[in-house]
Amino acid sequence: MSGRKETVLDLARFVDKGVSVKLSGGRQVTGTLKGYDQLLNLVLDEAVESLRDQDDPLKITEQTRFLGLIVCRGTAVMLVAPTDGTDEIPNPFLQAEGA
Amino acid sequence: MATDTGLELLVDQTISVITNDGRNIVGVLRGFDQATNVILDESHERVYSTKAGVEQLVLGLYIIRGDNIAVVGELDEELDSNLDLTSLRAQPLKPVQH
Amino acid sequence: MLPLSLLKTAQGHPMLVELKNGETYNGHLVNCDTWMNIHLREVICTSKDGDRFWRMPECYIRGNTIKYLRVPDEVIDKVQEETAKRSDRKPAVSGRGRGRGRGEEVVAKERGGHGGYQEDRGRGGRGGRGPGRGGKGGGRGRGQ
Repeated sequence: MSGRKETVLDLARFVDKGVSVKLSGGRQVTGTLKGYDQLLNLVLDEAVESLRDQDDPLKITEQTRFLGLIVCRGTAVMLVAPTDGTDEIPNPFLQAEGA
Repeated sequence: MATDTGLELLVDQTISVITNDGRNIVGVLRGFDQATNVILDESHERVYSTKAGVEQLVLGLYIIRGDNIAVVGELDEELDSNLDLTSLRAQPLKPVQH
Repeated sequence: MLPLSLLKTAQGHPMLVELKNGETYNGHLVNCDTWMNIHLREVICTSKDGDRFWRMPECYIRGNTIKYLRVPDEVIDKVQEETAKRSDRKPAVSGRGRGRGRGEEVVAKERGGHGGYQEDRGRGGRGGRGPGRGGKGGGRGRGQ
């Protein structure tokens, strides 16, 4: 049925490129993807964690923490996106909803 | 087939789902699977409040992950249509505590 | 109808995905698998409180972090067609008008199985349900 192709996303395209990874528990890390496996364990080089606000854990702050070379455990990976082309933008739904 | 959840009896009927984050979604059950993922068609959310009547938000076609479902209930459409939601006040549900 | 069949059929369509952490992702579904892992393109991410937004060219979301997916209404009609085309097995029960409502236990049981499809859903179109679905609302942010 569905899912004859094992991988939904071919991570090979991201190797040696910047990726942003969200982990379950709320941490967010960006780094250069050096390797991966089918369980979505990831090797990130020069990884930087974006820290959250102490008082308001909903908010990620500008504060970061350098982690260096890390392995992200696949089971904890919630989301992977390329950093290239990822930008914060103003509310794009405003004009859509007003119409 | 491990579909002994009893949901098959409710297919194509209007059901009410309470999710783990405390939302109440009403819609027509179009399908489900072993993980209790459900397809809800023509669905809407009912937002309860103590200050105003029940607000109904049109949602449309939804797939709700079973992980996130607390309760699935059959909705008696006749009984439901006799409800005056605009005058109904209720405390919103709190999210499920794990 | 299986939720994952619907999702598979929704490939190429825009959708809204809310994660368990409350973030929402609006994008076009590129691919999905049996774990509900999904690959979206042209994505707009909305924070839980609905006041910050990011656009990203694509993203991969692990299935088990998903709370729900909102898919375009027309996709459910496409599922019938696609399963019809795909099924080389017995093409389900022959034309059975199905109105909404009760007294359909028999039919309901029959479609308990895999991949059966209804030739006639007798739902007479999907019209008439008031205002559309509103502009793909990002992050409704409940409880303001």
